[in-house]
Amino acid sequence: MANKLIDIVNVSKSYGDNLVLDELNLYIRENEFLTLLGPSGCGKTTLLRILGGFESCDSGHIIFDGKNINNVPPNKRQLNTVFQKYALFSHMSIAENIAFGLKIKGKSKAYINDKIRYALKLVNLDGYENRTPDSLSGGQQQRIAIARAIVNEPKVLLLDEPLGALDLKLRQDMQYELIRLKNELGITFIYVTHDQEEALTMSDTIVVMNQGYIQQIGTPEDIYNEPENAFVADFIGESNILPAVMVEDKLVKILGVNFPCVDVGFGKNKPVDAVIRPEDIDLVKPEEGLLEGVVTHLIFKGVHYEMEVSANNFDWLVHSTDMVPVGTTVGIKVDPFDIQIMKKPESEDEEAVPVEE
Amino acid sequence: MIKNTLQKIYLGLIFILLYAPIITLVVLSFNNSKTRAKWGGFTGKWYVALFQNEQIMNALYTTLIIALLSALIATLIGTAAAIGIQAMRKRVRTAMMAVTNIPMLNADIVTGISLMLLFIAFRFSLGFATILMAHITFNIPYVILSVMPKLKQTNRRTYEAALDLGASPIYAFFKVVFPDILPGVFSGFLLAFTMSLDDFVITHFTKGPGVDTLSTKIYSEVRKGIKPEMYALSTLLFVSVLILLILVNVSPSSKEGSTRKYVSKKSKAARFVFRRLVPAVMAIVIIAGGFFYGSKRSVSGDNQVIVYNWGEYLDPEVITIFEEETGISVVYEEYETNEIMYPKVQSGAIAYDVVCPSDYMIQRMIENDLLAEINFDHIPNIKNIGTQYMEQSRQFDAENKYSVPYCWGTVGILYNKKMVEEPIDSWSVLWDETYKDNILMQDSVRDAFAVALKYLGYSLNSTDLDELEAAKALLIEQKPLVQAYVIDQVRDKMIGNEAAIGVIYSGEAIYTQLENPDLEYVIPKEGSNVWIDSWVIPKNAKHKENAEAFINFLCRPDIAKMNFDYITYSTPNIEARKLIEDPAIRNSTIAFPDASELERCETFQFLGDENDVLYNELWREIKSK
Amino acid sequence: MKSKKLLAGPYLFWSVSFIIIPLLMIFYYGLTDQDGAFTFANLAKITTPENLKALGLALLLSLISTLICLVMAYPLAMILASMNVNQTSFIVLIFILPMWMNFLLRTLAWQTLLEKNGVINSILSFFHLPQLAIINTPYAIILGMVYNFLPFMVLPIYNVLVKIDKDVINAARDLGANNRQTFFKIILPLTVPGIISGITMVFVPALTTFVISDLLGGSKILLIGNVIEQEFKQGSNWHVGSGLSLVLMIFIILSMALIAKYDKDGEGTAF
Repeated sequence: MANKLIDIVNVSKSYGDNLVLDELNLYIRENEFLTLLGPSGCGKTTLLRILGGFESCDSGHIIFDGKNINNVPPNKRQLNTVFQKYALFSHMSIAENIAFGLKIKGKSKAYINDKIRYALKLVNLDGYENRTPDSLSGGQQQRIAIARAIVNEPKVLLLDEPLGALDLKLRQDMQYELIRLKNELGITFIYVTHDQEEALTMSDTIVVMNQGYIQQIGTPEDIYNEPENAFVADFIGESNILPAVMVEDKLVKILGVNFPCVDVGFGKNKPVDAVIRPEDIDLVKPEEGLLEGVVTHLIFKGVHYEMEVSANNFDWLVHSTDMVPVGTTVGIKVDPFDIQIMKKPESEDEEAVPVEE
Repeated sequence: MIKNTLQKIYLGLIFILLYAPIITLVVLSFNNSKTRAKWGGFTGKWYVALFQNEQIMNALYTTLIIALLSALIATLIGTAAAIGIQAMRKRVRTAMMAVTNIPMLNADIVTGISLMLLFIAFRFSLGFATILMAHITFNIPYVILSVMPKLKQTNRRTYEAALDLGASPIYAFFKVVFPDILPGVFSGFLLAFTMSLDDFVITHFTKGPGVDTLSTKIYSEVRKGIKPEMYALSTLLFVSVLILLILVNVSPSSKEGSTRKYVSKKSKAARFVFRRLVPAVMAIVIIAGGFFYGSKRSVSGDNQVIVYNWGEYLDPEVITIFEEETGISVVYEEYETNEIMYPKVQSGAIAYDVVCPSDYMIQRMIENDLLAEINFDHIPNIKNIGTQYMEQSRQFDAENKYSVPYCWGTVGILYNKKMVEEPIDSWSVLWDETYKDNILMQDSVRDAFAVALKYLGYSLNSTDLDELEAAKALLIEQKPLVQAYVIDQVRDKMIGNEAAIGVIYSGEAIYTQLENPDLEYVIPKEGSNVWIDSWVIPKNAKHKENAEAFINFLCRPDIAKMNFDYITYSTPNIEARKLIEDPAIRNSTIAFPDASELERCETFQFLGDENDVLYNELWREIKSK
Repeated sequence: MKSKKLLAGPYLFWSVSFIIIPLLMIFYYGLTDQDGAFTFANLAKITTPENLKALGLALLLSLISTLICLVMAYPLAMILASMNVNQTSFIVLIFILPMWMNFLLRTLAWQTLLEKNGVINSILSFFHLPQLAIINTPYAIILGMVYNFLPFMVLPIYNVLVKIDKDVINAARDLGANNRQTFFKIILPLTVPGIISGITMVFVPALTTFVISDLLGGSKILLIGNVIEQEFKQGSNWHVGSGLSLVLMIFIILSMALIAKYDKDGEGTAF
């Protein structure tokens, strides 16, 4: 893997009594597409703004390329930001917007013009030089904001929910566009979003955050398949989170029934949480299942059917390509490796324990 | 940190700039001395006197009611207009907004004049209603401009959603749109209220007799010196608004409430008290007070007399006695100079019943057929007026048919004995370099020219162009030495030792000497102006008999004496003079100079419209040099 | 939607009756003589040396005051905008509050402060400092103008400043602009609507005032506003007064054109 480019060490930040980031540690590698994912208020945007230099942290260090940049103002940092609401300069033309950073660096006219043309081509907006920001659609403005940032050839591009204001189709197009851009430019992207699908689609690494703490760091597959706690499991995709007891290694008791699983090392008779993704549940004949239940709801979702099965006083969420009519009695079966066991938080606050890598 | 401190210092300086005059006024409201030029010790008496001063209280309630009504009506029309304009096509909308901008951007003076021309052209009689209309006119734009942005912010879909859910358009508007734009409507209302309260210029041009807002009342008092009650009133107004604001802003705000998990009942109650109850109670007090005073005034009916007099030229107590004795109610209005009074009477926009012009102006009014002959059968008290004054009046009222002398006096020099080297006896001192910036000159055409013409040895009624040019040259020469051109402010400034020498009417001299014993009055040896102010009745007067009753009343010795005590201008009423207790004043040569002193003095005459224009032009040339 | 437009009806009537027609009246008076015959003579009165001087002086003093207001108000508006007080209304009220003390009294109070034996000079002489002798000079008039009209400069600039998205400024910093560059290239251009609106809101009343010059200039200094006021209230020649008002309106129309050009959306309103 490439070198660490940014190292965030023990960073804390609070607004008044409100602790936003608590002793946070994270590193970002060169050429990585890293996504900070979490619900609003989890601290992800604050972290991004600290990186951009618009906020300062109360304690801790930001190391960039081996140097502490805590006190470096934003205009001296080798990173550029794409803002949530684009933040284009409404009194300037598109070309002037893009040229802004270059002019300040004192680049030659020819160089600037080349760069403008190159950047506009890169974001598929050739010929828009003389338009004003107001005359562009949201998606177009967003692409200009990206163009404006990348002409400065930053080492890192910070993107703060850049697609939040776009509609679904445009958002999906822009996701591919961003991946393409990143591959063409070969620089580091740090991306903030609360949209798990966006995160799963684009990232090399996802950092799931909640209440100022990092909940889990991993590849999209890791995060999806092996959530480390109930919060991650719940936040990423849909899931059935069940209170359970780890009877012994590779055996877990869920709703009073023993399920074989693959997890080890939780001790004996320890309360845990078990996560089962809806698409991992097989509905079989009642006698073949570990549990017996009745289908209570059925909805057609296009790719699959979404069903709710009431079994042992729990409503199981099930995704299946096969339809089972409401009222049918079915058996529930889960393959051992589809059960993800997580430590149970000992208290309400424990849910937000800092996770060391 | 340094930046922060600098910012605080800067804010502080601006704050001082903005609030220094206000603090000054607050301090003046506790000043025991009647003039603002002198600190006479601490007192609260003006606050008591304030509530007994009916004129000021009337002006206050007129101001408040006009502000309230105009703001309310402007808010209604303006809010409706904003909604209508918002629904219009872009081009129409732009045109409407351009019209809306006119009163905002136009100079107050142009707006005021244009409205005055309108009212006069359409024969609206200038008064309460015209002020109200003018205020509504300049208030509407503030409301529209406050409401428009809020309207732009509101989501049109919510209105449509309400309609979709079965609400009628009106119900939907009041339940859905209105709450959204309410802050805009409210701030528009407040702004309109404040603007109306603070307006002077437009009111100045559109007001009629007997109606005064605080602004116009103050303006007419400026030249005489502001009554200390006015400072007290302003302080009260300011402090109550300040308290109101502090209550609204410092009371437990909704922001705090929402960050906490729950809002305690207590703070909810406190918020209700501070943000709703207290303002509401204050509003009710104001309105109720307004109606109270309003009702007190409106009982008069048509049995009234409209008096147009010089500022501070009548004891208010006299009016009260007159009203009590006769049952005739007095509508009283003041002016500062003859030249201001004349066009108002001439235009006929206001039908005054009694006016008190000076000699030459009376002549002009007679020549222009503006005056009615007085029926002296109704004025038996004319016998109290000294014959020499009736004789003198013949200079402008040849047959003594139109006027009844009220006050008379001379123009002379008031000087501060401690600030000049030797006693003064000549106009020449006004051209003496040693008194540069220590001279106060009269700010009226005829008086200023009279000084120069007399000094040159010409008649003060000269129409000879060479003589006038010479006088003009002299006055221009004098201008660098002059501290200020003033009318009645000479009084305050001389009392406060602001200047060494001032040209002043003899009537003011007595009062100033009482306040500042260093002052001395002299009629220069070259001669001066001797003048008479007399009561006349305009032709278009609607209550001629009441007017005659009023004049007769003023000629009663005891009443004339009351007025003399109050205004200290020489009275032509011989019987009244006998009643003056203090022999020093009764025999004062300032108030009642010997015939010998008056030998070289002349009375102003009306010189014809053309010469009037000439004088005015020459005067403007002097002033603009 | 039709019915909504009707709501503007009363205002339409009102504005025609009390804004448009009165202005036409001024035009009528300004372009006729005493006998009602058409003439340009009233307009031509502006070219007499005295009137030109009054106009010139008014222009000069109001331009200086406008400039001073701008220079004082801009940093002030920036400080206020940066104070991050969520009670914006409170700040605005600090500037509106003095209006509850009558405008004439406030101006008159400056007389008391500035006079030869006034408050300021008393303080200065207490500290043995040189006396301030600006009462009855153009400087006092400028002070009066700045004092009275400063809020009209601060409020529009403040209102535009607080509306600027913080991220737009952050973006400029992010793209390498230092404080000075951010100010001149981003903040200043974005506040132009507020500045223009502030300039007109100070310049027009300052140009046309007659009260301030009356009270603080000792009647020695005649501005165009004084000339017009005297034509109406003393000289009683309404035709000349209207003619001169028409000349003044040229400047007002210029201001409106400026606003229309730079502040299309009405962002820079004072309130």
